[in-house]
Amino acid sequence: MRVTVKLFATFRDGRFKVEEKELPEDSKVLSVLEPLNIKPEEVAICLVNGRNVNEQHVLNNGDTVALFPPVGGG
Amino acid sequence: MAVEGRYARNKKSLSEEEQCKLATSCVAIVGCGGLGGYIAEELARIGVGHLVLIDGDRLEASNLNRQIMATELNIGQWKVEAARDRLHSVNSEVQVDVIKEWFEEEKGPILFKDVTLVFDALDSLSTRVMLERVCHQLGIPLVFASIAGWFGQIGVSLPGDFSVFRLYGHGERGVESTWGNPAFTPAVLASLSVAEGVKLLVGRLPALRRAWLQVDLLTMEFDRFEIGDT
Repeated sequence: MRVTVKLFATFRDGRFKVEEKELPEDSKVLSVLEPLNIKPEEVAICLVNGRNVNEQHVLNNGDTVALFPPVGGG
Repeated sequence: MAVEGRYARNKKSLSEEEQCKLATSCVAIVGCGGLGGYIAEELARIGVGHLVLIDGDRLEASNLNRQIMATELNIGQWKVEAARDRLHSVNSEVQVDVIKEWFEEEKGPILFKDVTLVFDALDSLSTRVMLERVCHQLGIPLVFASIAGWFGQIGVSLPGDFSVFRLYGHGERGVESTWGNPAFTPAVLASLSVAEGVKLLVGRLPALRRAWLQVDLLTMEFDRFEIGDT
């Protein structure tokens, strides 16, 4: 199946803004993170099709995954 | 000092009635660093009558790159006192209360006694979540903003929304610890915060309730995301 992965803020550094990824059926968000070398604890927010989910969320063909690091400075 | 024409250029953007509402408003800014300094500056210039500045930190050399209240002459001074001095020279009609302490949950009811709007300009994820809880218990709307490197987030949380909890409820530190904070990022995010805050103060609808704006100053992209119930 194909999912669209969108990265934001510092996650874009050395990676990409948006890419299509080919994944096995029933893959979790975790399978998107691993090849990107992003640990689950580095993710502040994960949206799948605009809904807040965690790294165990099972993906479907055509999903859009958006990943955000914690931005906490003032 | 009353200066004739001080608010002349606010006209059309704000009605006379709205300008009066600002003059009788009391606003707290929690955190008086990069974001909080610019927020205080803009609120004083636009004519908010009463500001409560809360920060337990003193100015240091590393603040000079971005904190508008920091100068070579006031290193070592309490941030809130430096802010008060600067704001007094900008608009002496504004009452500025300074609290030289870190914000804590039990201080909320006293510090926010007269406050009708709070700005979250903190630099700790867990304190942000606590501040939202306090504001909601007291029925006070909150404008939150955060920065790291070229990036920022800003939104509005009204009692019952818990937007800050959803955005900042996981983890201890943000990526700002490695990415720093250059001069332009706090200025942009502070201005966006004040624009939303002024709407709340004059009774207009904010644009970013149950949402946040993701700001990327490298690509100059501003993306809006909704904060759902899950």
